Amino acid sequence: MSLELVLIIAFGGALLTYLVGKISCKGRDFLAVVVSLSLVAFVACLYGRSMEKAFYFGFFGLGFILRLNMLSWLFAITIAVVGTLSIIFSLSYIRKGEKTDFYFFEMALVNAAMLGIVLSGDLLSFYIFWEIMSWNAFLLISYNKGPALAAGMKYIIMSIIGSVCFLVGMLSLYDSFDTLNISQIASAITSVSSGYILFILATFGIAFGIKNAILPFHTWLPDAHSEAPAPFSAVLSGILIKMGTYGFLLLLYVIVGLKVFLGLGSGLFSFRSMLCCLGAVTIFIPTFIAMLQNDAKRLLAWSTVGQAGYIILGIAFGTNLALAGGIFHFFNHALFKALLFLAIGAVEFRTGTRDLNSLGGLAKKMPVVFVGTLVGICALIGVPLTNGFVSKWLIYKTLIIEGSPFLAFFALAGTWGTILYCYKLIHNVFLGQLPEKYKTVEKAPLSMQLPVIVLSFAILLFGILPGILLKIINAIGTSFGFESLNVTLWGIASETGTLNTINIFSAVLAAGVIVWIIFRLGAKSVSVSQDDSYAAGAYTPVDKYHYTTEFYNPLYRMISPFLRDIVDEFYYWIASCVQKLAGGVRRIYSGDVGYYVMYIIFFLAFLIFVQLNWKPW
Amino acid sequence: MVTKVIQIILSPVLALVIGVFFLGLARKIMARIHWRYGPPLIQPVIDMIRLFYQKSVSHGRMFDLGIILSLVGSVVVVLFMPFGKMCPLRSSGGLLVILYIMLLAPLGLAFSGGQGANPNISIGVSRKLILSLGYEVPLLLVLLAVMTHYKTISIAEVVDVQQSTGWSIISWPLFLSGISYLLILPAILGIRPFDISSAPQEISSGPMAEYGGKYLALATIEHAFVLFISIALFVNLFLGGAANPAIFFVKMLLVFVLGLCTNAVFPRFRIEQAIKYLWKWPTLLSFLGLIIALAVRS
Repeated sequence: MSLELVLIIAFGGALLTYLVGKISCKGRDFLAVVVSLSLVAFVACLYGRSMEKAFYFGFFGLGFILRLNMLSWLFAITIAVVGTLSIIFSLSYIRKGEKTDFYFFEMALVNAAMLGIVLSGDLLSFYIFWEIMSWNAFLLISYNKGPALAAGMKYIIMSIIGSVCFLVGMLSLYDSFDTLNISQIASAITSVSSGYILFILATFGIAFGIKNAILPFHTWLPDAHSEAPAPFSAVLSGILIKMGTYGFLLLLYVIVGLKVFLGLGSGLFSFRSMLCCLGAVTIFIPTFIAMLQNDAKRLLAWSTVGQAGYIILGIAFGTNLALAGGIFHFFNHALFKALLFLAIGAVEFRTGTRDLNSLGGLAKKMPVVFVGTLVGICALIGVPLTNGFVSKWLIYKTLIIEGSPFLAFFALAGTWGTILYCYKLIHNVFLGQLPEKYKTVEKAPLSMQLPVIVLSFAILLFGILPGILLKIINAIGTSFGFESLNVTLWGIASETGTLNTINIFSAVLAAGVIVWIIFRLGAKSVSVSQDDSYAAGAYTPVDKYHYTTEFYNPLYRMISPFLRDIVDEFYYWIASCVQKLAGGVRRIYSGDVGYYVMYIIFFLAFLIFVQLNWKPW
Repeated sequence: MVTKVIQIILSPVLALVIGVFFLGLARKIMARIHWRYGPPLIQPVIDMIRLFYQKSVSHGRMFDLGIILSLVGSVVVVLFMPFGKMCPLRSSGGLLVILYIMLLAPLGLAFSGGQGANPNISIGVSRKLILSLGYEVPLLLVLLAVMTHYKTISIAEVVDVQQSTGWSIISWPLFLSGISYLLILPAILGIRPFDISSAPQEISSGPMAEYGGKYLALATIEHAFVLFISIALFVNLFLGGAANPAIFFVKMLLVFVLGLCTNAVFPRFRIEQAIKYLWKWPTLLSFLGLIIALAVRS
């Protein structure tokens, strides 16, 4: 089993899918699923191996190096699984659209490029795959035309800025060390000054920060996530932005290294605490903005910005528990956010809208999707026995024990904000009144239910038995030079506080059974329709009012004046300035030959004037 | 092992008995403050038994499951809560787990109510969640101050330390935090001036509007548990817990009667006023409290 085979299957499969699509749609669907499933199987087979392999294509004498270790394996398997599920979901979601061959080609190509990123062992091939991913993401974001075009444009402009920063950093590294091999750079970098390391961190940090949507580089994300087709939103939010996370892990712990990273600056002004503060702000503000959204996907998009903050906070804090929490949260977020985007996609597919003010009561119409969403939001909040709880617990615990209660406060308060928007999401879509026009809505098709079921199951599995993943993460942590954690199958044991999910699980199970028996012992209840409700004597006309509209109105009135997206406005201001400037410059090129002759004459006159006065030549 | 099993069975039962006793006591004391005679102490028990045998309506699967979930959450929290020397699950995650499982109770009620499709429920749940966001801000700062000061996330250890060094509310690093907790306690308990989400005269008990029969009985049990948990948390963190259940009970009783006196004399806030109050003085105090706790630690 070799690494190049995985990439050949991924890229070749994408191309083949496109070609087969020209002949038959069924064949294309089948091939797309088979290719992505085989990628999952291949990557799974590579578990636990570490290898490095160099190829030379004669490009400036630079090698094309493929590398596998525990870190890249974890990312690769996540990419393969989420990619496969979203392709399965696409089968019925995208059927009605135009250019479906192109869509599947792009989806497969994005997954292949992401696999390439995590498997590459040198910065040049990293950069090439990074660019393939970015450009394909642009094409997929603007797939729906209309407002999606503007969203895609915003994304690609920010992405290019990131890529340029990456290029500058990469060229500077090549200039200093004469190599782009990551492990060679890592061993050489210990000898350079801390100023140079800060420069490298800044250039790469901007590139990865834009992809990971850290404040203040987050502005492309809400538009892109809400306008992209739902299955691609799942990929975008679940794994594509996590390539930024992978980049940060690579930069901070592999290239720069643990000791150098923790030694940059001191106290509040160290690089580490700056990054932590950035992470905390990234958790806090977007969470409050998410509460005020009325578009289901836009709400989830802002939530993605917030959750990415937890990951950055965990990674930047730099203790073994925090790192474990950060990496675990990356994995969990990929699962539950993909699940939520797919579930909302199924609702949009059946009802044609994702407006939280007009949906409602779909729990009885789409039970599987409802249960999936319920599990998803529980994980997003971090309710115990879902995977989100374990990762958040790890992050909180280390923040408290290491004496950073203010960071912990931002993280915890972010969670309480999360409850508000999660409840709004599930209440306004699945609970509450079922409007008359959605009375005939059907269940989601099987190809949409399947990914939802798989992801819900995975969330509960890793919530009850987090040790499965914590062992892998522990191996990553020790490879970065951290002390090993005392991991068991159901949690983490330590002197300062133990987590034991199996105890919580049995307690919940036992209490559940007892309460359920008590509930059944009472007199039987009569099932009534939703219109048969108690309104304290007031008459409630059927289907006249929608009770869930503007759900948090009092809060909205209070906090919305404080939550202007100043950063976004600032970027738009820059964009409009550049546009004006470019408009001015354009006037020079009028296309009239007479003008050009005039420019030449003026220029010559200027030269003669200079020569006559100062005689420089 | 046997004592542990007994503790696991005993502590929810004790919590329920105390919670229901508090419910009865609340009606009695409120009546006396209003110069009425008031119902007998066991009135809530009588009501519950009667309700169990009465007819009720259901609005769907989630309507049933939500209330069960909320009750399960409360029962599990009780297992994590030290009561005197009793704490069956003391080493399974500590205060952070308590914080999180405490979520299940309001969340379950909100899920259940959500399927009721009733305008009053919708308003009530919205208010409840906004209010909880309001009091969680100071509450989190207070809890973080306690955890920072004692350098642990285990509530049982916080109690143990206080048993030897004295109550934390009268130790100066945590004094401000304790005061702040007292100021937000009515909001956590949902009593006046913070009974915004239930508001019987305004939105006919909000989230409970569709409940009847056994649903109402379970909601009352749930309310009893919430009373117990919120007060027990305060007693454990700031009044030193207790060496035996009797003293613990007396401490809880004192805190509860204090809360009732507030309840008896205040009118109800609007939701905006409540948030403004909660994010002003209690937050300021708990913020200062956390800074002090952090300064003392280092």
